[in-house]
Amino acid sequence: MGPIEEKTDLESDEEIPFSSSPATRKVHAFDFEATHIGPHVSSTWIYKQIRIRPLKSIYIVLIKAKINMLLPFGLLAILLHYLTGKHVWVFSFSLLGITPLAQRLGYATEQLAFYTGPTVGGLLNATFGNATEMIISIYALKNGMIRVVQQSLLGSILSNMLLVLGCAFFTGGIVHYKEVQKFNKAAALVNSGLLLMAVMGIMFPAVLHFTHSEVHVGKSELSLSRFSSCIMLVAYASYLFFQLKSHRNIYSPIDEERNNDEEDSDEDEAPEITFWEAIGWLFVLTVWVSILSGYLVDAIQGASDSLNMPVAFISVILLPIVGNAAEHASAIMFAMKNKLDITLGVAIGSSTQISMFVIPFCVVVGWVMGEPMDLNFQLFETATLFITVLVVAFMLQGHSNEEKECGERKYRKSAPKHQGRIPLTSTLKREKIGCLSRDGIELLLRLDEKIFREKSNATTLMVQGLVRQGGWKG
Amino acid sequence: MDYGSQMNGIQSHIEMEVLDQRSTHDFEEESLISPERDPQKTHSLCASQSGGSQVCSINTLRNGVFMSIKIVIFTTKLNLLMPFGPLAILVHKFTGHRGWVFFFCLLGIAPLAERLGYATEQLAFYTGATVGGLLNATFGNATELIISIYAMKRGMIRVVQQSLLGSILSNMLLVLGCAFFSGGIVFYEKEQVFDKANAGVNSGLLLMAVMGLLFPAVLHFTHTEVHFGKSELALSRFSSCVMLLAYAAYLFFQLKSVRPNEEGSQIEESSDDDEVPEISKWESIIWLSILTCWISVLSEYLVGTIEGASTDWKIPVSFISVILLPIVGNAAEHASAIMFAMKDKLDISLGVAIGSSTQISMFGIPICVVIGWMMGRPMDLNFQLFETATLFITVLVVAFLLQEGTSNYFKGLMLILCYLIVAASFFVHEDPASVGEKQPQP
Repeated sequence: MGPIEEKTDLESDEEIPFSSSPATRKVHAFDFEATHIGPHVSSTWIYKQIRIRPLKSIYIVLIKAKINMLLPFGLLAILLHYLTGKHVWVFSFSLLGITPLAQRLGYATEQLAFYTGPTVGGLLNATFGNATEMIISIYALKNGMIRVVQQSLLGSILSNMLLVLGCAFFTGGIVHYKEVQKFNKAAALVNSGLLLMAVMGIMFPAVLHFTHSEVHVGKSELSLSRFSSCIMLVAYASYLFFQLKSHRNIYSPIDEERNNDEEDSDEDEAPEITFWEAIGWLFVLTVWVSILSGYLVDAIQGASDSLNMPVAFISVILLPIVGNAAEHASAIMFAMKNKLDITLGVAIGSSTQISMFVIPFCVVVGWVMGEPMDLNFQLFETATLFITVLVVAFMLQGHSNEEKECGERKYRKSAPKHQGRIPLTSTLKREKIGCLSRDGIELLLRLDEKIFREKSNATTLMVQGLVRQGGWKG
Repeated sequence: MDYGSQMNGIQSHIEMEVLDQRSTHDFEEESLISPERDPQKTHSLCASQSGGSQVCSINTLRNGVFMSIKIVIFTTKLNLLMPFGPLAILVHKFTGHRGWVFFFCLLGIAPLAERLGYATEQLAFYTGATVGGLLNATFGNATELIISIYAMKRGMIRVVQQSLLGSILSNMLLVLGCAFFSGGIVFYEKEQVFDKANAGVNSGLLLMAVMGLLFPAVLHFTHTEVHFGKSELALSRFSSCVMLLAYAAYLFFQLKSVRPNEEGSQIEESSDDDEVPEISKWESIIWLSILTCWISVLSEYLVGTIEGASTDWKIPVSFISVILLPIVGNAAEHASAIMFAMKDKLDISLGVAIGSSTQISMFGIPICVVIGWMMGRPMDLNFQLFETATLFITVLVVAFLLQEGTSNYFKGLMLILCYLIVAASFFVHEDPASVGEKQPQP
């Protein structure tokens, strides 16, 4: 631990902003006590740091965030499980106890992503983003509660697509009610397409079972589900590859370029815990979540009996609301800051992740465990998922299509396609400029920054000229 | 004038035209078939020899026939599969092994279907854009239609429905997916674009076809028809007439009211690949009829051995009808769509893939219902719930993916994977309606 502690000691405290690449990290030896300055350390000082550092880490991760007030509920749930037999209390308290753990898990993943760079960070986020749901599902699978797994995953998708997205749009719209908030349609469309593909994968076993037209009753849907799950996992892997490697430019959100600087200056400078601490916390939190999930899953049936609520309602509605509470809060916050792309990434991306990764993954895990977990979600749930995906997909693409149509109309009226826009479109890869409306001006201004960065001064002047010509202010 | 010299005269006249055209344009290899220059040169030699003289008319006729056969039959590599056709007939006569007969018929039909498409294209050079479009619209899926008519004659209604459905699915998912994927890989850095409006019209037509198919199926499924069994048939026949009307209107709309940007792209296309019709007008008509006859013969054997193949290979009949038959029937379109995508002519690929799906759904299926009506067969639009649901979700997915107007390799991959899921579903799908349905039929 010695040299590692030394390295962490040389890194700065959370108050100091620093750039993310380790090579250029300034050595601000501004340690917690603010007494010693200088890179040279004595052995006694190291021992002091060893004692202080874990405590500091615990403070940052477990005590600083307000949501951690719910942490004791977890311990309380375990106590109640052993002291009383009341499943309702165990269930509710473990629900409350898991919420902060889920949020902290996301936090630890974020922190780890600082150190690993965007690609691996994206992968991490893609895998651990819904770790809570995955852990709960695996426990339920072990108990043989296949329906609970299916319903909780379905509920998670529904709550992300409808509740989280809806709240985000609603609050964002109220806060910025004068303007229409925009988001990058390409990413939203890809995600919607993936969701439709997931619906397809889920629909076939359900319809097959429902029309009683399978070759071997019971066995056919299972093998079909397993095959489809493998295909969906392949699709998800290629989606990650596609997103992270190839088309980063095209799918970068509209505001990302401009706001990246803001974000960098706001959030990105200070990973608050070190690399190894992040990994350690990831591990600790996962273990903690697993333990609580075990109690949670055991108490579901009893809670449903006591509360007189169907198990389906608990699995589909209650479990995911709690599991997604943290994502919910962050999505609303980003919408209020007018960073709608991040909101969409959180909400729809999470839905896509669950539908294309977690569900097939659970099927495969069930295959390994020998549990008959399949993709036949029964007709009602499948129909619900289907109509929900349709509604959301059409709303997302309908909203973003207005821009495009405007641009298209302009194209048809002017003679050749790229007349008067050749300089602007050649530097960017086939990006349609859109019409010279108010929104267009925003787009042009953003292009201005991009072009400026690519050192094309003539085009910058041309863009500015266009703006002045249009007579719009700003 | 006897027929031979008349044909000869027409031949030489057209060859002179051909030579003229060829001398002014560049001879680009745009089509899948790589035409050889030698037959053209020998043709021209013949033409110059026989210009006006009737003496070597018979020679030129024989040479013309040989040249024609050479061009049509021996130039494409796909035609290596042609011997499988006669082989299938032989195997059927000598052994009773229906699995092999089916397989050989499949292999034998593939090149014939492609040649049929080729002959249609060639004929389209001579008839102009409008009639050419009509020709393509009718003969484009002639193979599927012929197979369906034979199946209907034998009373295998479910096979008809499933093979047509499978053709739509394979065109929309597999062909389109492969085209997007290969085009996206070749043009790695940018996103390929295509005409959104055309894709939108086609998607709308496909959705209308789904609607036409959905109503009889749901009516049957909810047991709410007025006269059980008869209502769906009547409804199907009425819907088919409506769908045919819609398709005719669509053709009219497409061919008459050509928009400026479409014209532009058409002009580009025509400067690329239509300078040289390779066979003359009468040759193409003759070849069209020969190939159609040949395909009919093979189809009869094919349809007759489907069930035998299903029991021999232990595969459900629905899998054979939905997946295997269309893959073979569409092999040529498949290859050409991929090739055009790799040349960044995504509109043509889309026209091939989605246009073919639209054609089958709005023309092929209703025509089969009408023909069944005339034959007295109870062919209806009730494709049973599983198939209808499959078609519905597939059309939705594809329509959604197309409405953006761009393509990349990931979209192609998604479509291909969707097709794999569909294929797997049909592999474990046993059709309850087709058991014991086949009626004995002369």
